[in-house]
Amino acid sequence: MSLSRSPSPVPGGGWSSPGLNINSGRTSPANVGGSSVSWESAKMRKHGANGYPSFSTQNQGFFTRHMRRISSSLPRFNSGIGNTYAEREKFEREGYNAASGGRIRSFFARVGRRLKWRILLPLIIICTIIVYYGTHEAPGFVHWWRRSSIGGNGEKFVIILAANVGGGVMEWKGAREWAIERDSVRNKRKYATRWGYDLEIVDMKTKKRYAHEWRESWEKVDFLRNTMRKYPKAEWFWWLDLNTYVMEPGYSLQHHLFNHLDRHVYRDINDFNPLNITHPPTDQYLDADARSPVGDGKINSVNLMLSQDCSGFNLGSFFVRRSDWTEQLLDIWWDPVLYEQKHMEWEHKEQDALEQLYRTQPWIRQHTGFLPQRMINSFPPAACADDSGLNNTRIHYNEKDRDFVVNMAGCEWGRDCWGEMYHYREFSYWLNRNPWELFKEEIVALIWFKLTGQRVKL
Amino acid sequence: MHYAYPARKSSNPPPFRPRSTRLPGLRRSRLRTIGIVAFAIFALLWLFSNPSVPRPDRERVPSGQPPVVIVTVIDPTSYNNAYLKTIRENREQYAAKHGYEAFIVKAYDYDTQGAPQSWSKLMAMRHALTKFPECKFIWYLDQDAYIMDVNKSLEEHILGQRKLEGLMIKNYPVVPPDSIIRTFSHLRADNVDLIVSQDRSGLVAGSVIVRNSEWSKFFIETWMDPLYRSYNFQKAERHALEHIVQWHPTILSKLALVPQRTLGPYTRTDQGDAYQDGDFVVYFWGCAKSGQGSCETESSSYYKKWSSAFGN
Repeated sequence: MSLSRSPSPVPGGGWSSPGLNINSGRTSPANVGGSSVSWESAKMRKHGANGYPSFSTQNQGFFTRHMRRISSSLPRFNSGIGNTYAEREKFEREGYNAASGGRIRSFFARVGRRLKWRILLPLIIICTIIVYYGTHEAPGFVHWWRRSSIGGNGEKFVIILAANVGGGVMEWKGAREWAIERDSVRNKRKYATRWGYDLEIVDMKTKKRYAHEWRESWEKVDFLRNTMRKYPKAEWFWWLDLNTYVMEPGYSLQHHLFNHLDRHVYRDINDFNPLNITHPPTDQYLDADARSPVGDGKINSVNLMLSQDCSGFNLGSFFVRRSDWTEQLLDIWWDPVLYEQKHMEWEHKEQDALEQLYRTQPWIRQHTGFLPQRMINSFPPAACADDSGLNNTRIHYNEKDRDFVVNMAGCEWGRDCWGEMYHYREFSYWLNRNPWELFKEEIVALIWFKLTGQRVKL
Repeated sequence: MHYAYPARKSSNPPPFRPRSTRLPGLRRSRLRTIGIVAFAIFALLWLFSNPSVPRPDRERVPSGQPPVVIVTVIDPTSYNNAYLKTIRENREQYAAKHGYEAFIVKAYDYDTQGAPQSWSKLMAMRHALTKFPECKFIWYLDQDAYIMDVNKSLEEHILGQRKLEGLMIKNYPVVPPDSIIRTFSHLRADNVDLIVSQDRSGLVAGSVIVRNSEWSKFFIETWMDPLYRSYNFQKAERHALEHIVQWHPTILSKLALVPQRTLGPYTRTDQGDAYQDGDFVVYFWGCAKSGQGSCETESSSYYKKWSSAFGN
């Protein structure tokens, strides 16, 4: 049903049930004041959108984590021989070198200068490498260099990863779900650390709260907004679903995409138009930019970049840029009047809502660009599969071209998410072996196979 | 052999020895230091210099030719032509007097796709932005209204920064009487992109000023979204405006609410603020198409007033 006018937001927050309370538009229940109901998103904003606490007291930093180990390995100094006979006896038995520190010192006193250097030099080299490249957790010099404006401007990019999908009370996460999450997060974390980007992991389990407000799936919007606020220096925000895998961690976003954006982005949806959207709007009251198929044609006016799969827009992997336009889009993306009329048709919720906006609003078209799907969002052969069983060159992952990212879209509907994730993880490792691994596996193992007829894994 | 005594040393030696080279600082030993220091300074300058890269989404600022476009949608199919002629005259003469443009279009020029014809005013506003890309403001004024104070330009009446800041109603429910959404209390006049007023039951969508910008395109196109048009809002685009203003902060944050008498006081007294002598505009809101209380009869006394002001 439709109301004579749209309901106002009710005091205390939220959207009153459409259709249940006819008067809600005019006289919103102002006298309910002080009710315990409050708008969930407002509540969440206060607490930070992801469910993680903003700080933790445990396991923080190197020293708290390794204090026990460090302190137990420090040399012990007895302040003097105790008076008891037992202590004196013990002291004499162990000699001076009881503590390991002392042992090392005496060792160095014994060896010659040349040997000393031979030991120290590799240590220094290893330390330098670690400082340079960083470790798993602590990013090294390369990371900070690539973040800076002279080393690649990595701080302009933030990767937003939707984690904790499918959690909640009703659907327990099994071992496989945890494994998917662990691998996916680790993959993005390594990638972001390597190139000096920021990684923001958002917690999708808040879905339930949004479902309560009829805004399920639109939490993306709030997460984007919060992330934009959290990283004020960043310009581009890359949304990634959980079931994605960066296959080529050696590609930087700048090199892969942003240095030559104008070459990769196409504005005219007629290039590939599975939704059959009539593209340049033709209304006589629109200006030339709005009626042109490519907007104003300048690459700087692209604020949203996404890809299209076989059935239309795909929001598993897309980029938005910080701008006034983006704020307007995020604001308009969910609207109660639009939602009320369309929610039965919007099977993919926020994705369909965006398609709807793209269809009807010229101002959105003028700032939306499309990327060839395989640049940021390759599909495994099982997704978007047609009867032929062949790989679609536009859609499906192709290892010969070393596609950047795989998105196992729709794997939770009857496919094996973990199987695909595992496959692509191992495949990515295999594709990106280092020279030593290549030597082992391509030469040594091959020779061994020729000699003995046995395959070995080195 | 006798040699002459060597010349005596002057007992008044010159106070300073002449310089060995032009620049004493440039001795070879110092050159390296200077080089290093200079390099370091340049390196630091380069590191800390913040090249002002223009924002990628920086907007083009319209030049203001004309400063204001007055948009009016007339409906010749159901209104008397003589009456509509006075409306047209009123807009055009006022525009000519202040260097504005009057953009008067017919309602049925635009296809509202089944929605009430009153939606065509939004298309007319969008059309005005297309036709006058250099204008600073567009002022939509309904057909059934006259500009009364013809000597006052819009800038001195509302749009001047000081003036507008004085007029803005801050922290006030946008939709009377009790919407919890209130106008912003810390909005500056330069950030205002939309100026409307309020009568007793809602926003007065018959007299609206919009600044020409990217935002205005977003705003107008959102306002006329086909799904709003098909929603059967009781008062069509008027309720749609109230809706988007209340639900979308990017719109609310650009909105200035001004007293109704500055933008569109009614001739009748029961619906909102009534016209008083000296007001800028008069709005025959709710007048009938024909017969008793028709717009034509209601407007005739006002017509005399403003046309005498023009000296007709």
